[in-house]
Amino acid sequence: MTEALCKRLLDEYAAVRDSLPADVVSPERRQEAIDALAARGLPVTRDENWRYTNLRPLERARFAPAAAAPARGASGTPPPLPSGLDLPAGLGGFARYTFVDGAYAPELSSPREQAGLTVRHLRQAPDGAAAQAHSAAVLRLPRALPASSGLPEARLALLNEAFATDTAAIHVSGAAAAPACVELVFVALAGADKGASYPRIEVSLDPASRLILVERHVGADAGASFVNCSVNVDVGRGAHLTHYRLQRAGARSTWLDTLSAALAADARYGLLAVSTGGLSARSTTHVQMAGAGAQLALSVAALGDRQQVQDHFALVEHIAPRTRTEQTFRGIASGRARVAFNGKIAVREAAAGTDSRQSLRGLLAGPEAEIDVRPQLEIYTDEVRCSHGATAGKLDEDMLFYLLSRGLSPEVAQRLLKWAFLEDVVAKIEIPELRRQIEHGLAGQMADAASLKELL
Amino acid sequence: MLKIENLHVKVDGKEILKGLTLAIPTGEVHAVMGPNGSGKSTLANVLAGRPGYEITAGSVTFQGRDLLGLAPEERAREGVFLGFQYPVEIPGVNNVYLLKAAVNAARKHRGLEEVDAFEFLTLVREKMRLMRMEESMLSRGVNEGFSGGEKKRNEILQMLVLEPRLAILDETDSGLDIDALKIVAHGVNTLRSPERSLVLVTHYQRLLDYIVPDHVHVLVRGRIARSGDKSLALELERRGYDWVTGEAA
Repeated sequence: MTEALCKRLLDEYAAVRDSLPADVVSPERRQEAIDALAARGLPVTRDENWRYTNLRPLERARFAPAAAAPARGASGTPPPLPSGLDLPAGLGGFARYTFVDGAYAPELSSPREQAGLTVRHLRQAPDGAAAQAHSAAVLRLPRALPASSGLPEARLALLNEAFATDTAAIHVSGAAAAPACVELVFVALAGADKGASYPRIEVSLDPASRLILVERHVGADAGASFVNCSVNVDVGRGAHLTHYRLQRAGARSTWLDTLSAALAADARYGLLAVSTGGLSARSTTHVQMAGAGAQLALSVAALGDRQQVQDHFALVEHIAPRTRTEQTFRGIASGRARVAFNGKIAVREAAAGTDSRQSLRGLLAGPEAEIDVRPQLEIYTDEVRCSHGATAGKLDEDMLFYLLSRGLSPEVAQRLLKWAFLEDVVAKIEIPELRRQIEHGLAGQMADAASLKELL
Repeated sequence: MLKIENLHVKVDGKEILKGLTLAIPTGEVHAVMGPNGSGKSTLANVLAGRPGYEITAGSVTFQGRDLLGLAPEERAREGVFLGFQYPVEIPGVNNVYLLKAAVNAARKHRGLEEVDAFEFLTLVREKMRLMRMEESMLSRGVNEGFSGGEKKRNEILQMLVLEPRLAILDETDSGLDIDALKIVAHGVNTLRSPERSLVLVTHYQRLLDYIVPDHVHVLVRGRIARSGDKSLALELERRGYDWVTGEAA
């Protein structure tokens, strides 16, 4: 990080510090985060594991949150959503909470009571009324900086920590008959010149509880926002979390993201991300398999076209014995896009009996596109089973010819094969309604909704 | 229907077809037999337009048109069908979608409207029964997890639904047990008609017990070495390919 950039970061922080809500992150923790970030510096492409990210937008970005600006009118109502930005249809049985530029938007939300579930947004109304309504809720919020924030790959979480304007805090307790169902929608409206958006989520599952979480990030089609998202996940003993993350930020946006998760014994975490939006998108995922028998299924689909950059870094640490990971990545780069997935598996000394499988595949669909899939293994113990397959290539010629020989045009055949390629991930979506939505979105993204519509 | 004249084809710089001449009149079934490496599959692939084959001389006309000048998808829409020796698996693209897309591509080419969804499914189900295929296969990926025999039956199913003018079946009998062979042969026979021509590319005579050809040709080292009626296949079975290859040398 250049000195000038560091100084600007600190100046911007100093200018808004007093207006940042203390109930979201305490002033002490904010200070600690900004100091740590200033000391470590923002990532640069020379850094290991950042070389595929487009970090230039950081130099121009305004770090101060858009939500801290007086976006709300005197009546306290937020500005209406611009035309052309339709929120995705709600899912049956899900409670929805919507945040616009990092601030809770009750008029776009539809809470729904469910056994054992508490959802709060931590920034309370100034009159304290809302605060009282929630005061009974017990929430274990981490008091120190998240463990991951020490990782060089996770340091953008510190930026979120310092500037966060609100938090969606989800807590599930008890073993209910059916999993709790929550949908979080983060809308980025403000342009990067007006300020940043800081989506922030804390998820905590008590032992044996269950949650299905759908997390969406949307923006206006041509939106040019700066979004820095931070998610912390804590899955208790024997708890099950199914987590869908759908990134469809505005086409000119910079979307940065850090997710840290810790899994207790026998916990199960299914994390499925579909990333199609933004001009420059980067996700860092750090999962600690801390309890014996914990299981993780991490699936990522990424679609890049034009000049888009879709970069994913995932570190899975097997710390406890008999932990299991299954990782699937399918990425397509068209146009001049760059799509990367860097999947690192670390098996620590005590993690005997680890079973990890990686299937990483990239598809090159343009002469100027770039794909990089990189499996990395670090093993510090015996008795492990780690397998990985990583390929990057073009469409299969035999498949293509087969479709042509049946009369399909080359354009349709190619799109069909790209579609089929992503299905390895999309087919894992267990909510039919959501799967349909995503399939429609992908078909639209491939600019061929017409020829693919019959698949849907 | 199909007229091949003096066809020379190279694969990876090596000449495989060396002046092949063959005419398939409308309404006839022709078998092209030959030992391994004689150029049978090359012929089938060249007719369907597979990339990677260099045509150095000769011509192929299909219903009076230059077939070699057409892209693979145009040949298909004109009514040329290749039944693959090794049908590829395409997970994620389901069978019924492919069938429908194929039928509609041909219909559009002929200026017809898209097929009615209900009528289409009724037709496909009927053909599936004929091929003794389970209906659940429709919603599976193209050939995904199919056994060798199921893949070949699926090829014939596609042919029955597409109703091509010219069908080239490349070693459709290979890898089939006798029951599957009968099902496949029965499917093919239902398609025989005075308006349609069939080319059976095969190594063995066995298939021809069930699909009786009008003519049999023996391909040796890239040329038709001998032609005759169905008795030629039986004679080949008895005497072996050495009989013809020796003569052709």
